[in-house]
Amino acid sequence: MTTVTNRPASAGPSAPKKALIERLSIITGLLLGIVGAVLAWYLARTFLPVNTDGSYIKTRMDQEVFIAMIGWFVGFMTGIGALIGPFRWLLGKDLTHDETLFYAGKDQGVKRYFRYTTDHKVVGIQYLVITMVIFFVGGVLAMLIRTNLGHAGGNWLQPQTYNTVVGLHGITMVVGAIIMITGPFGNFIMPIMIGARDMAFPRLNALSFWLVVAAVPPLLSSIWLGGIPTGWSAYNPLENQAPPGMDGFIMAICIFAISTMVAGANITATAVKMRAKGMTWNRTPIFIYGVVASVALALPVFPVFFLSQVLSGLDRATGSTFFDVRGGGSPWLYENLFWIMGHPEVYVILIPALAALMEMAPVFTRRPLFSFNLAIMGIAGISGLSVLVWAHHLYVSGWAPLLNGPFMLTTELISIPTGMLFLVLIGTLWRGRVWITLPTAAIYAVLFNFTIGGITGIYLSDVSADAALHGSIFVTAHFHYTLMGAGLTSAIGALVYWFPKMTGRMFDKKLGWTAFWITQVGFNIAFMGMFMVGLAGQPRRVGAISAFYDKGNSITTMGAYIIMTGMLVLLHGVVVSWVWGTKATQNPWFAKSLEWSVAYPVPLENFDVLPVVTEDAYGYGKAQS
Amino acid sequence: MSELETTQRPSWWKRSDAKKAIFLWVIFTAIIGYTASIIQSRAMGSPASENMSNTINMVKIFTWAAAPVAGLVAALTITTLLGQRHFGDNPPPEAEHEIRNSPRVAATWVVVSTLLCLFAVIYGMVLVQADENKLRTANPINIDVTGQQWVWNFKYVDNGGAQSADLYLPVNKPVLFHVTSTDVMHSFWIVQMGIKVDANPGYVTETGTTPNKIGVYDLRCAELCGLYHAYMQKKVHVVSQADYDAWVQNQGGNA
Repeated sequence: MTTVTNRPASAGPSAPKKALIERLSIITGLLLGIVGAVLAWYLARTFLPVNTDGSYIKTRMDQEVFIAMIGWFVGFMTGIGALIGPFRWLLGKDLTHDETLFYAGKDQGVKRYFRYTTDHKVVGIQYLVITMVIFFVGGVLAMLIRTNLGHAGGNWLQPQTYNTVVGLHGITMVVGAIIMITGPFGNFIMPIMIGARDMAFPRLNALSFWLVVAAVPPLLSSIWLGGIPTGWSAYNPLENQAPPGMDGFIMAICIFAISTMVAGANITATAVKMRAKGMTWNRTPIFIYGVVASVALALPVFPVFFLSQVLSGLDRATGSTFFDVRGGGSPWLYENLFWIMGHPEVYVILIPALAALMEMAPVFTRRPLFSFNLAIMGIAGISGLSVLVWAHHLYVSGWAPLLNGPFMLTTELISIPTGMLFLVLIGTLWRGRVWITLPTAAIYAVLFNFTIGGITGIYLSDVSADAALHGSIFVTAHFHYTLMGAGLTSAIGALVYWFPKMTGRMFDKKLGWTAFWITQVGFNIAFMGMFMVGLAGQPRRVGAISAFYDKGNSITTMGAYIIMTGMLVLLHGVVVSWVWGTKATQNPWFAKSLEWSVAYPVPLENFDVLPVVTEDAYGYGKAQS
Repeated sequence: MSELETTQRPSWWKRSDAKKAIFLWVIFTAIIGYTASIIQSRAMGSPASENMSNTINMVKIFTWAAAPVAGLVAALTITTLLGQRHFGDNPPPEAEHEIRNSPRVAATWVVVSTLLCLFAVIYGMVLVQADENKLRTANPINIDVTGQQWVWNFKYVDNGGAQSADLYLPVNKPVLFHVTSTDVMHSFWIVQMGIKVDANPGYVTETGTTPNKIGVYDLRCAELCGLYHAYMQKKVHVVSQADYDAWVQNQGGNA
């Protein structure tokens, strides 16, 4: 591989006649997507045969919606330029060197963020922005839920609207949480951290991002298509009964699942094959292990998610009966397929979050990471066990009660590798010189929140206790403690940590600390209240509460508003720091990993000369002071 | 680790830090265990069956088993904050040691967490088995439960097929529910008796309990089932055997 510096100047962008690839951007993507959707819908309306059989469900509308959305998907991906590469290759005329540079976003300024750009740093920023947009939408939906449940009898949302809000909140937050670490930091930071020029498959990288974008309109269209009354788990047969909004949900999941699989293959290949010379597995930063474990875990489970939604879609559109007992199907089959993805998915979120904390801990304690081996063992243990625990979501489903015991065993065993990661973090803080910064605060906050989230998980993993707690809002509080209290807090810490490398500016301290304290206090108020009413027997996903749960719900709603305030301060902080923040030095945290060895702005292919690694990134405290 | 090595190498812990941590550990464990178990048992209310009292006990025991863990995490992290803190834009001087591991600490941690985990599993298994045995050996009243959007129907098959929309149960008599659904999935949950099983269309699932206190309890749907899921609630009336017989006859069944 040659370096950027000794390449001939590109003639691409300044050439008088614009080539096709230079015309494509998100605008042509949206245009072609809309044209595709309308055209496909028109064709479907005209040529689809009228349903004459006595099908269980109305399918004609669903067929039209699905075909229109496939039209959108194909149109958008064509318009954004995803097909140029494969098409050229098909013709035997692969992209020229200049075109490849153009694709990498060379000399395009802000425009490259709106194109099918392959540079991993552009993709990282794109992911960061879309993650924040997704969280914003999910947050607004959360506030609708909490406002509706402010006090008994105060519910003002229609039941159908409320259920749709719950379902959309669930799926947007889950999608946002899945991409919040591996998207921005896995793409922007990871290749630099391992001393590579880019990802192993840069075009797949762009593909994975634009697939996420392509999934958004189908998901949001469900609002106007009758909503998704099923929650994000979309259990059959309720899914089968739902209005066409459900088709939007199914389509969005299918597209997002492809995106995750593509990103998974790409990131795994990059970490395995592209590490700098001398970066043996023992010298590879722990964050890389976390990111790889996360996406490698997504690789086997997201195809199952994809499959479950394809089968659901077929049930809805063609009257097949995979999950319909009347035609020989089984709703338990759907539950199994869903949770085979659904439980590993929470570790897809958590592992890279904790790995980011483990990456930051040595930097802010000025001492080596405590027991690297234990950290790897913990990550590997969680990944391995997480695919064997799914049926604890089915303890009370009536499906195969004999399996409850074995699944209780695997579920509780997972606390052992999780405990290892706790020891690594605490061991690193122990006898270190604690540098009080926002990322440090995130480590402490996560240790606090995740202890609560983890322990409440042990009650739920027990079959008898689960008979009392399953389906109650206790479960909701539990997974918010893990995914939000631990996951999101880590992501915010990681954002502040890597902000100087990604934007060239420091995160505003005052706004950062204000946001941190407000969100943490609000978070614990909100979800402690939720634990109480859950223990007292309030079911999940209810749009109205009885007077008995009035106090607990008021507390939770109050907490939610505090969280909202904190999150708005944080968002404000992101914008202010990004635009006006103090310029950062190359290595503001005095860290030793490779991403800090390049200056901002990071050049197109990161390194002039690829680095050679001789030791790990945690060599602090060596015979100094 | 030989004796010689331990004396020469800097150790992972300092005596003064360890003393502080142990002191905090004891305090935190007591506070966490006590407050959490009080709050939990208060929130979970008074049980109306042995299943629920077992569950409440189990939650308490788990809480007391988990309190030292949470207490330890809290004690260790707070001790680290009590030590060498550093504020400012520039990093503190690097640590005076480069300890990368402590085999003894790691081994202890892993072994203890494994033992705690096995305790939870074995205790849980024993309790599940006990519930299961009770369900199978007793001579119960059979009641067919049918969920449909958004009501419950109860059929008292051992009492001449009487039906009702609220659930009536005689006190201290084992009862076995055969649960199914006519449309989507529901979940049959009697809150104060700590039992729950999903109602699946096309399948019959079973759960059972022995109500041991006369009173009125809550029955809720615990699986999102569409528009009026929140309102799919009924009352469970636990009455004396004589009242139950009278009620059943009134419903057109036989006692």
